[in-house]
Amino acid sequence: MEDAQLVHDFRGGNHQAFNKLVTRWQDRIHHFAYRFFASSDDAAEITQKTFIKAYHKLDTLDDVNKFGSWLYTIANNLCLDELKRVGRKRATSYETLKVAPQTDTATPADGMVLRNEGLVLLHKALLQLPVDQRVVVIMKEYEGLTFREIAEILDEPENTVKSRLYYGLSALKKTFDSWNINKEVFDYE
Amino acid sequence: MNKETARSLFMDYLYDELEQDQRNELEQFLSQNPEVKKELDELSDVRSMIAHLPVQDPEKQLVMAEPDQAGFQEWWNDFVDGLLPRKGFARAGFAIASLLVVFVVLGAFTKLNISVNDGGFSLAFGEKQEIIQQGFTPQQVEMLLQQVREDNAVMISDAVQSAQQQQENELEKTLVNFADYIEQQRQSDLQMISSGLYDMEETYYDRFRQTDQVLGELIQTVSTGN
Repeated sequence: MEDAQLVHDFRGGNHQAFNKLVTRWQDRIHHFAYRFFASSDDAAEITQKTFIKAYHKLDTLDDVNKFGSWLYTIANNLCLDELKRVGRKRATSYETLKVAPQTDTATPADGMVLRNEGLVLLHKALLQLPVDQRVVVIMKEYEGLTFREIAEILDEPENTVKSRLYYGLSALKKTFDSWNINKEVFDYE
Repeated sequence: MNKETARSLFMDYLYDELEQDQRNELEQFLSQNPEVKKELDELSDVRSMIAHLPVQDPEKQLVMAEPDQAGFQEWWNDFVDGLLPRKGFARAGFAIASLLVVFVVLGAFTKLNISVNDGGFSLAFGEKQEIIQQGFTPQQVEMLLQQVREDNAVMISDAVQSAQQQQENELEKTLVNFADYIEQQRQSDLQMISSGLYDMEETYYDRFRQTDQVLGELIQTVSTGN
């Protein structure tokens, strides 16, 4: 069943339709928020707030075919609000990221250690991006949205979105170069 | 195409959102400008690197919508709002008319019977039934009267006998009390008489003794004087 039909059913009083929408979308919203904050707690909180707001505001959605974009808009606004609320604390939250500890039974392998460190640094690098670039990188690279969809969500021109993505990827490139990280680090399996 | 134009197409090219003819044009330009192609390859490498970023799924369904408990109430309110006129008087009139219709229909089903007579106001449901009053025959009445009389006679006889017995008991009790009183009075009088006689005897005895004493003294005086 399409999202639009579920939205119609919910507006008709079927609460189970909303639960199906939650089941269908909560992983994506959670992933978006998790990559935005690098925190499971924050991601869960943002996800809950997003769906609670959607529950109360679903009647205001004009085009039911754009439920997903509308949901991302809510989630993005909530992330920005949260960032403003605890901006300074959030700006340094990546410092809490740690390398995944190695178990005693695991065979020490330099490649694995380097890969784990690289993954942590990936998140650090992402969190160091300006917020507008970070949002675009996450939506495009991980959520797989089209430039048009991202432009609608952010209410910006498509070229602005592409420009932010270009500068975001370029900034990540400079960061990785300064940390001596290259793609071979992540080729270890 | 120049370098800036080529760079403006990088994002569409990397994410496969470029039209085929533009793609061909860009690729041709890149083949002739290796330094620009190197920039594109570096961005592509960044993409391949950040693609490894891990993510966590939520552990459970984070939000669950519960059905509204007041569903019937809402439905009923909507139904009433849709059925009744909006204006005040019309709404009240419609409600009164509806109640009358309901009253008439229910009255027809339940065979409601309302009547006012000398006996007062009566409200009844169901078929009206004639009141059949069943009385006693003269013989039965006579028997009942006879029975009542006999019962009364027995009851009066018992009552008179009981009263007579009670009266006799009371009289006997009074006589006994009177006899006791007389006896006590007699004993008291006898004691008083006895006491009076005793006192009188004492008095006479004292007087005889005084008289004897005076006579003795007189005799002694006379004899001494002689």
